[in-house]
Amino acid sequence: MAIRHGFMPGCSLPSYSPTNIEKTIEFLRGVYPELSVIQKCCGKPTKSLGQVELLKERFGSLVADIKDCQVDEMLVACQNCYNMLRESDAFTTASLWERLPQIGLPAEVRGKALASDVVFSIHDSCPVRDNRAIHDGIRWILQELGYKTVEPERTRENARCCGFGGMIVPVNPELAKKVMDRRVKEMPTQHIVVYCAACRSSMLMGGGKAWHILDLLWGPVVTSASQPPENVLASPVKAWVNRYKSKGVIARSIK
Amino acid sequence: MAVQFAEKVYALAKEIAEDCQGLEAPFCAAECPMHTDALSYIRHIREGKLDDAVRTIREKLFLPATLGRICAHPCEKECRRETEFKQPLAIAALKRYAAEKADCVELWDVRVGVDTGKRVAVVGSGPAGAQAAIDLRKAGHQVTVYEKLSVRGGMLRVGIPSYRLPPKVLEFEYEYLDRLGIQFKLGVEVGKQVCLDDLRAEFDAVILAHGAHQGVVAQVEGCYSQGVTNAVDFLREMAFTQGCSAMGKNVLVIGGGDVAMDCARSALRAGADAVRIVCLENECELPASREEHEATIEEGVQFDYGWCVDAIHERDCRPTGARLKNCLALKDESGKFNPQLGDEMRAVECDTIVYAIGQRVLDIANGKLPQGGGGRYRVDPDTLASDIAGVFVAGDAAGTTIAIEAMAHGRKAALSADRFLRGISLIAERNFKLEASYKTRYDVPVPEDTKDLVRQHTRLVEVGVRRRSFAESDLGFDDATALSEAQRCLECECKECMQECLMLNEFTGCPGELFGVFLAKQQVDALVPYSCNLCNQCTLVCPKEFKLADAFMSMRKDFVRANKGRSPMKGHGAIDIHQKLSFSRVFTIKRKGRE
Repeated sequence: MAIRHGFMPGCSLPSYSPTNIEKTIEFLRGVYPELSVIQKCCGKPTKSLGQVELLKERFGSLVADIKDCQVDEMLVACQNCYNMLRESDAFTTASLWERLPQIGLPAEVRGKALASDVVFSIHDSCPVRDNRAIHDGIRWILQELGYKTVEPERTRENARCCGFGGMIVPVNPELAKKVMDRRVKEMPTQHIVVYCAACRSSMLMGGGKAWHILDLLWGPVVTSASQPPENVLASPVKAWVNRYKSKGVIARSIK
Repeated sequence: MAVQFAEKVYALAKEIAEDCQGLEAPFCAAECPMHTDALSYIRHIREGKLDDAVRTIREKLFLPATLGRICAHPCEKECRRETEFKQPLAIAALKRYAAEKADCVELWDVRVGVDTGKRVAVVGSGPAGAQAAIDLRKAGHQVTVYEKLSVRGGMLRVGIPSYRLPPKVLEFEYEYLDRLGIQFKLGVEVGKQVCLDDLRAEFDAVILAHGAHQGVVAQVEGCYSQGVTNAVDFLREMAFTQGCSAMGKNVLVIGGGDVAMDCARSALRAGADAVRIVCLENECELPASREEHEATIEEGVQFDYGWCVDAIHERDCRPTGARLKNCLALKDESGKFNPQLGDEMRAVECDTIVYAIGQRVLDIANGKLPQGGGGRYRVDPDTLASDIAGVFVAGDAAGTTIAIEAMAHGRKAALSADRFLRGISLIAERNFKLEASYKTRYDVPVPEDTKDLVRQHTRLVEVGVRRRSFAESDLGFDDATALSEAQRCLECECKECMQECLMLNEFTGCPGELFGVFLAKQQVDALVPYSCNLCNQCTLVCPKEFKLADAFMSMRKDFVRANKGRSPMKGHGAIDIHQKLSFSRVFTIKRKGRE
């Protein structure tokens, strides 16, 4: 029997950009016509707070959803989801960033940024510091698109946290801000590319110009003169409206 | 909120508190009996903050310029640049540099504690007695120092020649004791003019720190000849008169330690035509420090390594020479010091013989305190308490051999005496390890790209001039040399995670301290574990790979358990709502793909 695939955008990405969700699903359905899509949290914030019992219940509900969709392999766009889902053996989990090099990018995006003068500093997500395939995938995507990139001193397995980790922002915002500022400061260039919407928000709060990799994949070509999309996650109202819109996008994409 | 933490938390905390390298002293500071913070003062020198360097030194040592010249610097033997490259930092010389450049009375901390109404007598004004007097005075006691000689400083004043330590340097640093209000009775010999019983009756406690000022002469044929003397008497006379009445022109010094070097070099300066040193040891096993040995050779002293003076020839009660026997080994089969002599013999000419083979402690207690080898008083090694209540013994009188050890002894005796005076147990809650040299457990490897940089040397007066002059022979570092020497310090301290993690810096000096406090209190402010980004960057740089994030995460679980399933942090109310919504029907969707 053929493997059934599922896609899970996570929380921060749908709160940031319904458009990126829509285009990603459209593309993935071209590769995996039987694609299921689930918008739900993996429970990582609950876990980070230390709520063991609540996590069991919440994570359990997500696993039940995945089983309902009879998914064999989940593709995730969030690095926390990646780590969380891999704890279940009811299905396998792969990161979208390691899968894209395997399935290739649409012809129309390849080389689209070759003429751009921008040089992106790459900020890796620290929860997947040990996953080389994800780091490589991100670099492959950027290269395919035609963007020039540069690595900060602490990168890949040594990547520093963006400041968002551990749910410290609501508890110790001054400290979180210091961590964000420091991470932005060590970026060799002004323009930063991330693959986590929360990291993007942190980089913006730290004074950097940050794009999500899906912005680069599906959006207009970024040049040194470009300004990054606004920090949507900094506004709870906008973020929840987007989250709701993303839900609608999913409902329309898969009837 | 009282939280019962899981076993896992305590286990992790214990591991970190016990093994965190951040708590371990650098090799130099652990080895220094006074635990002088050389790493910090060398850093200050590097940064040009010489006032701070002096303040740091003075936190532990009241005579930086003196020790910068004459300390036997055990720190340098343990310096990483010694163990790795045989090129130790010139720690003592840097101390002298800082003191010469920046020390002034304005930097002296002359605060003393509230008057306790107790009075302490200290016998001897050498490094042990002076340190004991300082610590006791700072603790609020009235202190009177009895000194047999007319000058202060003990062996520093009359045992170390002035070309190594000009008396004015020492005298200036001893003014510190005057400024603290310590009283001195100079020229009063305890055991003669005053006896121990008198002191014990007049004072609430007594510290005996009168050193080991009895020279030793080997009992060989001819040893009573005029012109045969011992190093203690010889150097004392040199200190006062820059000469020695018993000295002729052809001097033979017996011994291989720093004192023998001092005698030989002093003899040259006092006008001897020829000076030779006869010692049991081979050239490579000489107890004298490398610098002293080299300087002595340079000044033209002849060495007979591996020989022993077997007999002294004399005419008209004056030595004419000595018969030497070769030494095959210093120790016997059981490993005890017991020179094994061979059959080879030779004669050398001389008119003066100075024995520099050790010193004895003169009994000033009229036999009331038991004495061991060399006359050293037998005292409790941890507290330095003698058999007489309220009488403590410190320094060479209790077995130390170098100034810095004597000072640590003085401090130890003062600590004991202070407890005695306050009626506190001499041993309770006292970390004896930290009162003397110890081996640090710091073991972070030297970075692989560490270069072997050559030790910088101080400026010596040209040999032709210095060998005939009692003026100071070593002029110390100039600015540029001091700076480049200070730059060689490998800074043996583990700050890996502290340099990486901003959060740890908000709460502690190092994880070992943080978790040590946690274990002691069995509690921690919830803000600490809830401020961790859980990014594991600390673990990546930690030489012990401690998993701090795991410990903090485990703590969080226990906080939640103790708080009815919720985070104790106010701000997390927003996360609760976020999570509820993120799992709610309103914001979630599952769309099953086609079959």
